[in-house]
Amino acid sequence: MNVDDPEVLNFVRRSMVGRIATLSRSGRPSITPLYFVTVKGHIWLGTANWTLAAREAIADPRVSVLLQIEQNPNDHRILRIVGSATVRTDAKTIRSSNLWMALKYILTPGSLRNRLSNRRLLPAERLYPRQSEEKGLACIIDVTPEQAEFLEDIQLGQTRSSGLPKEGER
Amino acid sequence: MKQITRNIALDSAHDLLERVPRACIAFADDHGPQAQPITLIWRDDRYLVGIPQRVERQPDSGKEVVLLVDEGIYFFDLRAIYIRGQVQPIETPTDAPSGYTWFELLPLKIVAWDYGTLHEVEGER
Repeated sequence: MNVDDPEVLNFVRRSMVGRIATLSRSGRPSITPLYFVTVKGHIWLGTANWTLAAREAIADPRVSVLLQIEQNPNDHRILRIVGSATVRTDAKTIRSSNLWMALKYILTPGSLRNRLSNRRLLPAERLYPRQSEEKGLACIIDVTPEQAEFLEDIQLGQTRSSGLPKEGER
Repeated sequence: MKQITRNIALDSAHDLLERVPRACIAFADDHGPQAQPITLIWRDDRYLVGIPQRVERQPDSGKEVVLLVDEGIYFFDLRAIYIRGQVQPIETPTDAPSGYTWFELLPLKIVAWDYGTLHEVEGER
């Protein structure tokens, strides 16, 4: 499927968490859930340059990203984007990313409610990224999509159709 | 030195293995990393992974795989279990749907986190 297909673009725009699969220099796999924004057809996943995901994207730029529309439980599709990644730490990119991330993940009614109901954790939340800054730079993993493919969310399909016993019943 | 951590004991995240909000694996093949949604059954502390048989790219026996079960959208709701291990093919588990290739993931490393429990610990992140 073309990555410029309007259905793909709309799906990416509505998705909230990207799960990015990467490989280490020696070929070991990892997968990391990250917040992301889309900028000019690219997927910018926010993290720090010391993290496994960023180090691996530097070591091997091939990535595979899963997206779904978490806020619509009736949409059982998962979008897999295959592409190539670069890791960017320049101040202009990080400023731009921070702005888009804030608009998507902080300045929304859902997020504000979430923060309000967890306000006792806000001091810890402020300290958490500072620890990261001691270890390295904030970065974005900039993914250039090359292929897009819709998959079915088979976990949901399975649990709805097969009537698997719940854990306590096994 | 005190640090803030998101990490939790696996026991505190067992509900993710029971409900399985979102589950996928990553593995490597000649084409690079593959992220693949899966069906997960957690039974008797075994991690049983189902991939539709129609999926062309499947992990080889003994291959290193990472399993991610996660949920949440907003920061303090983000929770996950991350298991690195090796997969072995198995017969279709009892009560499991057909049409899947089934593997057991033999864990080598397990990490669980919950941003809704950010807390201070001594010298850990």
